[in-house]
Amino acid sequence: MSTSGLFRFPARLARVCMVPWGLRFPEKPALLSLGTVVTPVQVAGKKDHPALLSLDERELEEQFVKGHGPGGQATNKTSNCVVLRHVPSGIVVKCHQTRSVDQNRKLARRILQEKVDVFYNGENSPVCKERREAEKRKQERKKRAKETLEKKKLLREQWESSRTAPGERTADSD
Amino acid sequence: MLRALLSGLGWRGGIWGCTFTSWRPHLPLARLLNVTELVNHWTAVFEKRGIPEARESSEYIVAHVLGAKTFQSLRPELWTQPLTPWQLQYIQELSSYRLQRMPVQYILGEWDFQGLSLKMVPPVFIPRWETEELVEWVLEEVTQRSRVVRAQGGPLILEVGCGSGAISLSLLSKLPQSQVIAVDKGEAAICLANENAHRLQLQDRIRIIPLDVTLEDSWAHLLPWGPVDLIVSNPPYVFHRDMEQLAPEILSYEDPVALDGGEEGMDIISHILALAPRLLKDSGSIFLEVDPRHPELVGSWLQSRPDLFLNLVTVRRDFCGRPRFLHIQRSRPQRGCPADAWPVLQPARVAG
Repeated sequence: MSTSGLFRFPARLARVCMVPWGLRFPEKPALLSLGTVVTPVQVAGKKDHPALLSLDERELEEQFVKGHGPGGQATNKTSNCVVLRHVPSGIVVKCHQTRSVDQNRKLARRILQEKVDVFYNGENSPVCKERREAEKRKQERKKRAKETLEKKKLLREQWESSRTAPGERTADSD
Repeated sequence: MLRALLSGLGWRGGIWGCTFTSWRPHLPLARLLNVTELVNHWTAVFEKRGIPEARESSEYIVAHVLGAKTFQSLRPELWTQPLTPWQLQYIQELSSYRLQRMPVQYILGEWDFQGLSLKMVPPVFIPRWETEELVEWVLEEVTQRSRVVRAQGGPLILEVGCGSGAISLSLLSKLPQSQVIAVDKGEAAICLANENAHRLQLQDRIRIIPLDVTLEDSWAHLLPWGPVDLIVSNPPYVFHRDMEQLAPEILSYEDPVALDGGEEGMDIISHILALAPRLLKDSGSIFLEVDPRHPELVGSWLQSRPDLFLNLVTVRRDFCGRPRFLHIQRSRPQRGCPADAWPVLQPARVAG
């Protein structure tokens, strides 16, 4: 399996779970055992991003297309929802964003990778950091916008007051 | 109005069709429903009539009417908004086709393949998901091969049985230097592939030719453009005896010629392999999608034809774990044919 990109997963799946399972809430493991994790992989599309914990395909169970039948030309199914479960943490991701099974599988893996990273790294996860930074930027933008608005308001008031008293000289003129 | 609706859906010819009874409204339009209620309603209607994939069908139809490709990708604000009477009516019309077992892809008139949006028209074969993996594999192989191939403006690819153009057009879009010759024996397929090529602005790099590869000497028509680096195909590979077990969606709407591969599903496959050596370059490759029983059958068939100098190199499984894709490679240098000639295709003209 190449580690050149997040989306390169082997054509052969270690396990394909075709039987529905019950969802359970993930329990935080007492011991963070990440022994089977391979070299961290860059998340695609986030070039400046520090790497997230990579997913080991052997720890994933994937379910899609219940009752797929013979497959290939003999079947025409449009239900391409992918349900992906990370066994060690119990985190499950469901993806039906696109019409392509292949794309949904990739997306599911990306989403799962982020969730698993947050699960194990908590606030230190790059996902959380990015979110905090984005929130911070948003707050700053709001603050600046507010300040600009207040400045404008102040200037307008000054201009108004200089107009209503034409003979008077004001301390600041603009 | 029915005729206008049919032509609006791109329906050509009624030979595959079914008779459309006049629709009786399934729900009172007096109260405007929101998206979720509507999906639930139609899901129930479909289930009651034994329509498979009731929920998925309902979701795709509703999403389509609201301008989204999938239900999950609908803008959140649309979830609780009431629908307009026009939208409700359109959904009802599309759903009536689903009640007639029309495949969703034909109802919507379009479908996605490898991220490309393709027009879909009965009876032209609807691309299956597995075939996206075939394209992925070809892309992997081409990327891994000599940089020389790409530098010279290749690869040159032949697709046999192009249907709507899914494989050819997705390869062209992912390999900006590539060129494709796409053939199909079906007139409707040639038409549709051309239309899709134009829609995607790829018409300059593809030549779409009506051709039946099972006819003797058909390969001769392709010589002017050869030799090619790759042959790709998702040929009709269903075993003839399995045809009658196919779902009504397939049997009533898709061209059986695009599916039926003969007694052991090998008819078209064997013709492709037989003509390959005349058209393939030195060490050129053939990539096929097949039935899971074919790897063994193809293996033995190739052994019985040592004159072709073709080797089954790799069998690859699909995401359901079934052996689905074959990589066959040509192993002997072609005499008297320059291996590095790159024919330049003239811009394709719209056929017919």
